Amino acid sequence: MTGLSDFLTQLDDLVSEAQSAFDAAADSAELEDSRVAFLGAKSGRLKSVQKGMGSVVGSDKPAAGKRLNEVKQQIQNAFDGAQTRLVAGTLSIGQQPAVDHSVPGRRPSLGHLHPVTQTIEELMDIMGRLGFTPADGPEIEDEWHNFEALNIPREHPARDPLDNFYLNVAHQTAESSLLLRSQTSTVQIRVMEKTPPPIRIISLGRVYRPDTADATHYPMFHQMEGLLVDRQVTMADLKSVLRIFATSYLGDEVHVRFRPSFFPFTEPSVEADYHWNDAWVEFGGAGMVDPNVLRAVGYDPEEVTGFAFGLGVERLCMRRHNITDIRELYKNDVRFLEQF
Amino acid sequence: MLVSWRWLQDYVNLDIDHDELAERLAMSGLNHEGTEAIGDDFAIDLEVTSNRPDCLGHIGVAREAAVLCDVDLQIPNPAPIGTGGAIEDLTSVTIEASELCTRYTARVVRGVKIGPSPDWLVQKLATIGLASVNNIVDITNFVLMESGQPLHAFDFSGIKGASILVRRAHAGEEFLAINHRGYSLEPTDCVIADAERAIALGGVMGGADSEVTNLTTDVLVESADFAPLAIRTTARRLKLHSPSSYRFERGVDPAGVDWASRRCCELILELAGGELADGVIDARSQPAPEPQPITLRLSQIPRILGIDVPSSTVRRILRALGTTEVSAGSEKVAVTPPSWRRDLVREIDLVEEVARIHGYDKIPEDIGVAMTASHRTDHQRVFSRIRGALAACGFSEALTPSVVSEEHSAVFSPWTDFEPLQCNTPMLHGADRLRRSLIPSLLASRQTNEALANPTIELFETAKIYLTTTDGLPDEPWMLAITSSRPWDEVKGVLEALVARLNPRHRLATTDWRGEFFESNQACGLLLKGETIGCLGEVSADARKQFGLRGRTLVAELRIAPLQSISELIPQYEPVSLFPSTSRDVNLIVGESVTWDSVADIVAKTCGDVLERLDYRETYRDPERDGVGKKRLLFSFVLRSATGTLTGEQADEIRDRVVTACRDAHEAIMIE
Repeated sequence: MTGLSDFLTQLDDLVSEAQSAFDAAADSAELEDSRVAFLGAKSGRLKSVQKGMGSVVGSDKPAAGKRLNEVKQQIQNAFDGAQTRLVAGTLSIGQQPAVDHSVPGRRPSLGHLHPVTQTIEELMDIMGRLGFTPADGPEIEDEWHNFEALNIPREHPARDPLDNFYLNVAHQTAESSLLLRSQTSTVQIRVMEKTPPPIRIISLGRVYRPDTADATHYPMFHQMEGLLVDRQVTMADLKSVLRIFATSYLGDEVHVRFRPSFFPFTEPSVEADYHWNDAWVEFGGAGMVDPNVLRAVGYDPEEVTGFAFGLGVERLCMRRHNITDIRELYKNDVRFLEQF
Repeated sequence: MLVSWRWLQDYVNLDIDHDELAERLAMSGLNHEGTEAIGDDFAIDLEVTSNRPDCLGHIGVAREAAVLCDVDLQIPNPAPIGTGGAIEDLTSVTIEASELCTRYTARVVRGVKIGPSPDWLVQKLATIGLASVNNIVDITNFVLMESGQPLHAFDFSGIKGASILVRRAHAGEEFLAINHRGYSLEPTDCVIADAERAIALGGVMGGADSEVTNLTTDVLVESADFAPLAIRTTARRLKLHSPSSYRFERGVDPAGVDWASRRCCELILELAGGELADGVIDARSQPAPEPQPITLRLSQIPRILGIDVPSSTVRRILRALGTTEVSAGSEKVAVTPPSWRRDLVREIDLVEEVARIHGYDKIPEDIGVAMTASHRTDHQRVFSRIRGALAACGFSEALTPSVVSEEHSAVFSPWTDFEPLQCNTPMLHGADRLRRSLIPSLLASRQTNEALANPTIELFETAKIYLTTTDGLPDEPWMLAITSSRPWDEVKGVLEALVARLNPRHRLATTDWRGEFFESNQACGLLLKGETIGCLGEVSADARKQFGLRGRTLVAELRIAPLQSISELIPQYEPVSLFPSTSRDVNLIVGESVTWDSVADIVAKTCGDVLERLDYRETYRDPERDGVGKKRLLFSFVLRSATGTLTGEQADEIRDRVVTACRDAHEAIMIE
């Protein structure tokens, strides 16, 4: 006994075979042969498949019948199409119709992720493999998190109103103004205030400094900062992590050097450079977390040590994609965005 | 800081070339920014970090070079001889503004002969970019660039009453500086005044009235120490930055004040002649800070640096840097820092000194850092899905600044009743309002593209907005916004697809939305789980005008937190039915007020588990046949059972129940 599904399969096969046969016909004689083979009234294949209806169980008969009718129509359509093809046009019998495969297909339009986002994803990926978990924090900060806890006392030039975007907020007190964070180190403070060591985090986001926009400066940019605090963390750990990071991002052949620098929140402080186009280019700042910072968040600098590093995402993005003007990143010209 | 290679060799005898020195200095903290050949000399440009004002003079750099190359440093010991009578008989100094000026020294040389400087002096100054003025001015510049201690030479005859008063400026006091520009002063400014008026802006710039000219015969040499914060405030406010203010802002060597004065007078006597008054007026408002001993536990070196440095090396480095060893044992060393290193106060400061002189390159960079568990956060996963879905739908990602202009801020702000937060300084093109919606920024980007006749402008952004709260830090919700010129149903479809990508069991519903920003009747609120999470609409012609936009555009903005909270980041498998599906079409006449959502609900309830999908086809109106106020809803649904093949009769029966339910609820009439 033939089941419904077997019957339906036979019908489907018949349609595709008939279509191929009709398509392959090079002239009307061949087409006529195929017509007889499939649609012939006496011994055409459709006729013989139709006989299979008898073996379909009663309750399935309506479905089978409906499908049979559709198939008849499809095969007839295929034949008609083939006939039109052979009769129409200037083609002489025996030639394939002219098909121009170079005519473009119909492309779905795909959007593009911003190059800064793509750079961030790459950076996060690398840091993730090194065991750093992302942490997030507010962009509008108080002075404690943006300065004080980071060992930047009130009289420090970095706190000058001209160097920061302070906000006019009605309810802020005289002791603490609000400002747009000037560095993502603020997130490190927030995480350490809430979490006992060990800490291994990466913070990434927008930061703001009142620079006049030009080819290499923009008053808003993205920073990535890493922090590792634990027992027995040394500068050798710092250098090793930065070395792996630089090699992962810039490639195995890259030359990196570490030289002394100064940041209020680290000591000793480090500037890492990489060698590019015959010159040393700053890669990022780093250092051992200053004992004052550890104390500010309630850690004991005699118990734990740590290192922190930070780098500007835009600069890495621009180097990666050979972008020469940072302002391009924020113009959002679609012809720019679609390049990445 | 520009350093002359030849000048440097007045103090150290180096057996390396200038490139090698620049490299060593860079690797010990004075970054090398470049070297330029000037005549037969080289100007080496060094970046001096703000903690190292001692390196803002040639002697300071020479001192570093001497430590790095392990050679001796030779510093002149100026001892000019006073033969011109007691200075106290000539002048006096009173420090009234004791918080602004801690020390003020004055020496007077009378009978000098103003003239050109000798070649050696002209050339040294030329190498570091300073033009020669006359011998007196050149000498003060030379000593400044030698020691890092700013000096000023007054024409003594220009000092009315011949006495100096260091005081706060009067509010609104006018001052004509040596650059011949007038400045209006405030009481936060420190002025050097004579009996009548301000003759110099302390630590920042001298005054035109007491400037040394070709007619000058007597000079008063000032060498002083001013409060860094006050100098910075004044220089910033007046936008008057000078080599002097730069150094006072960072702090000068308290012990170098008198040395520089002596050095200056010695050179004046040598190059301009004259007679030095005997002695010095040395006025102090505060005692000089006494450097305190610092103890370095040797165990801290490996603990922080990760390497051992022999104690003999540690002690040698500290000594070479000018510290005085107070005690030394097998476990610790105590030293007193030199007067010029006011940055050295803690143990960690000494650890850094040892590290940078010993060499950061001695610290290994290939140690195995311990592995630890880490993972992508839900935030990352959700954002990645949102961005991926929108890119797949043909939207490109924009990044726009967090601030907008006051006008743009006011155009669209549905998420808060509070005023926008405002920066004290505009960020870009006068924009100073923290945005309360991403849509104005996206429309501005749209305008940029429209102006360039870019044909397709389909943009999205995920970013924070900033909302005032009544206390504490402002709210910073993450938002998603899009701008598109596609038809309404396509844009809505994108948002529906997005929600389905995050969790296929959730559906965006709509609600009324009012506001002049959108075309009337062309906007809706977007609901998720009954809560308004955003809106979608066509921007009105008036609103478009405010952004300079010609073409029509739809925009939508959604809060991301609700999207994140419904997201199913790790979908759970559900078995699929092994039986074929069957579908039915329905064509209903209903009243205009009947919404698709309400019909869809009926279909879902009536079909129950066997409903696999429901597809809206179209709405069609034929008032002549169906009557006014009526519309036809065409839709089809796919049915599939988990337990068997649905027969045609079963499917028909379900369809009939759907039609009946719609009739009962909405008086719908089925068209066969």
